[in-house]
Amino acid sequence: MAMQRELLRNLRKKPITLRYPFERVAPPEGLRGKHSWNMEKCIGCGICVSVCPSFAIEMIGKGLTAEFKVYLDRCLFCAQCQESCPKEVIKLTTEYELAAYNRDQLILEWKRPTKSESTT
Amino acid sequence: MAPTELIITLLQVLIFPGIIFLLGLAFVYEWVDRKFYARLQNRYGPLHTGPSGFLQPFADFVKLLAKEDITPQAADKPLFAATPILLLAIPIAALFCIPMTGLTALVSFEGDLIYIIFLSTLISMVTFLAAWSSTNPFSIIGGLRAAFQMLGYEVPMAIVMVCPAIAAGTLNISGIVAKQGTSGLWFILSQPLGFIILLICLLAEIKRVPFDIPEAETEIVAGWLTEFSGRKLALLRLSIDMELVFAAALTTALYLGGPAGLAPIPAIIYFLVKTTIIVLIMSNLRALFARFRIDQMVHGSWKFLTPLAILQVILVELAVG
Amino acid sequence: MSEATFQVPVGPQHPALKEAPENFMFSIDGETVVDVKARIGYNHRGIEKAAESRSYIQNIYLVERVCGICSIAHVATYTPAVEEALNLEIPPRAKYIRTIIYELNRIASHYLWLGLAGHEIGFDTLFMYLWRDREIALNILEQITGNRVTYAAFTIGGVRRDISSEMAEKAKNGLSILEERMKYYKKLCLNEPTVLKRAVGVGILKPQDAITLCAVGPLLRASGVKSDVRADDPYLVYDEVPFYVVTYGGCDVASRVLVRCDETLVSIGIIKHALDRLPESPIRVKAPRIVPPAEVVSRTEAPRGELIYYLRSNGTDKPDRLKIRTPTLANIPSVCKSLIGGYLADIPIVLAAADPCFTCTDRMAFVNVSNGKRWVWTREQLRRYSMKWHQQN
Repeated sequence: MAMQRELLRNLRKKPITLRYPFERVAPPEGLRGKHSWNMEKCIGCGICVSVCPSFAIEMIGKGLTAEFKVYLDRCLFCAQCQESCPKEVIKLTTEYELAAYNRDQLILEWKRPTKSESTT
Repeated sequence: MAPTELIITLLQVLIFPGIIFLLGLAFVYEWVDRKFYARLQNRYGPLHTGPSGFLQPFADFVKLLAKEDITPQAADKPLFAATPILLLAIPIAALFCIPMTGLTALVSFEGDLIYIIFLSTLISMVTFLAAWSSTNPFSIIGGLRAAFQMLGYEVPMAIVMVCPAIAAGTLNISGIVAKQGTSGLWFILSQPLGFIILLICLLAEIKRVPFDIPEAETEIVAGWLTEFSGRKLALLRLSIDMELVFAAALTTALYLGGPAGLAPIPAIIYFLVKTTIIVLIMSNLRALFARFRIDQMVHGSWKFLTPLAILQVILVELAVG
Repeated sequence: MSEATFQVPVGPQHPALKEAPENFMFSIDGETVVDVKARIGYNHRGIEKAAESRSYIQNIYLVERVCGICSIAHVATYTPAVEEALNLEIPPRAKYIRTIIYELNRIASHYLWLGLAGHEIGFDTLFMYLWRDREIALNILEQITGNRVTYAAFTIGGVRRDISSEMAEKAKNGLSILEERMKYYKKLCLNEPTVLKRAVGVGILKPQDAITLCAVGPLLRASGVKSDVRADDPYLVYDEVPFYVVTYGGCDVASRVLVRCDETLVSIGIIKHALDRLPESPIRVKAPRIVPPAEVVSRTEAPRGELIYYLRSNGTDKPDRLKIRTPTLANIPSVCKSLIGGYLADIPIVLAAADPCFTCTDRMAFVNVSNGKRWVWTREQLRRYSMKWHQQN
């Protein structure tokens, strides 16, 4: 009987369930979500590859022409790559809705920005 | 009987207030129970199927009908297949004796209160048989607990069901309802103790929290229901809802005057409102308590419920004179 | 045996074991438990071996995932071990932030546990309310660390993120709500007759048995034994904040509930005190990658009891051996002892009252089924066997 008043009080309150996906809560700023890489600053040092705990980053090539593949289905979202990168290329945004029907949709590819056709 | 009477009776038995109506009522009350229970816990309950989740119990039923029906190899096959059907049929048969649309029920004879007590005992027996025929350790423990529980609630329930009969002077449920209708005094006002004890014993009979011991999910998986799947489980879940309707209708008829009420509103509306209130009270009790242990339940029932029931019957006898 | 006992298996799949597959084979006579045999090992993941092939920084994230609920306890025991091997002293602000996150995790863990205990005795309403209130703690943690579980907040040499003053304000508001709710739930558990009937006098574990069978954590403290790593061997800042050890003498499930309720209130007090007194200093120091050879034993008080880490480093950037002794492993014999003589209906609540986290628990041993002999292999034997296997395949 001890909980009866609490029960009746809850009848009057609006239910606390969020009717996702119709109602959403804005994620806090520091949430570690999907990767966003700024390839212009990348020098291809490979520190991110060696420091990732789940081997989710793959470097193709070396140095200033290196390109990267990030396997989001292996990624832990620990942001160690963001912390260890010397040039602040990697940033984890707050996008957390990453479900996909197919594992190939979870591979992010980061290529070098193509320069415009200039022949100087 | 003349052919038109025969057809009318057949329609009454099959549709209204017969089997189809009762099945629909079972689904509606399951929805009421789930929604109210959820709102007490600050969440939504069924939401998307139909307006405000109204069709959810029906959707669950249809889904279970489509699932695979597995019978364990060691089970007692005829009994295993028959018990879900029996468990659905018994509450419906009991509900025919309870007046819903007027002051007399579809089936009404002197002594049908004893018939209903017999049917409720039969429900527990068939539950035990259903569990025993499953030959699964969890089911057997659930069945044993159902039988134990029957030892606890059977006596106070029978005593307290007879109190309105003594006050009304008849063992016919339709007669009890008629007495409450004509005298205007519902028995809950003159025998409140009996009403409370009947509610508790009915909760134990239909195996709801705090007495859902035979079906205790966290202790013995699903208790006596463990091995049933597919169509048999659909029928069993429907029979559990039907028992809820039966308990609410019985309480209404014996203590709240059944469909008796003031003239312009049809009797069925009064009946539905009163049974809905009982269902809401039962849902509230479901949210309020934890589950008892079987020995605590049987001890408590013999230490408290039976003496109080005997006290109630003594008071009624003294009042009737 | 002359009496025929009924064998009831609880697990590996069973609703009483919400968390992990383990097998408890009960011998039941009527409704009384006569004997219980525990079998673990269904969930062995090879984390200790995986730790040997990853660097120390990568191991932080590996070790975090040993357990989802008490994840920070594992990190908070691993990082001091590595820092001890490196002879590194972390700045005071980092110590305070570590304590705050640790205690927030303890609050979330105890709220989760109380909800599960309510569910095990059939009291689903308590379960729903508690998990609704737990969201407040998880939201505070999400603000501070960026994730609701597996926080990735610590690093070798300090913490990765700072707590700003708005975060501290929001945290304090949330904590006030949590404190008021926990006081209400404690009062409810003491006053609700059905809960008392299921919890009082159930699952008795006498103090001598608890000490002999090496129980740890709230299980031990509910039998009246005053033993808590935060008081016996203070680490982080527990000697500077208002902290006291909570014990109850009831030796039953009700005492374990009360111990955890009070521990939550103590934790809330610690966090509020620490949030007001965060010292000004950097939050991390740079740590070298290579760790000189050393052997370190580190222990902390996880929400479930005493957690011990043994680390051996060999001068490279990967550890040589990491051994984890989780509190649930130490509690299993005590749980088995407290189940015997009780009722079948008490099994879920007694199992749950020990707050089992079976994911952290598993060990492997060899058993010869025909003659019942058991043995374990040493590390050298395991290595030789694995090299032979690789040669053949």
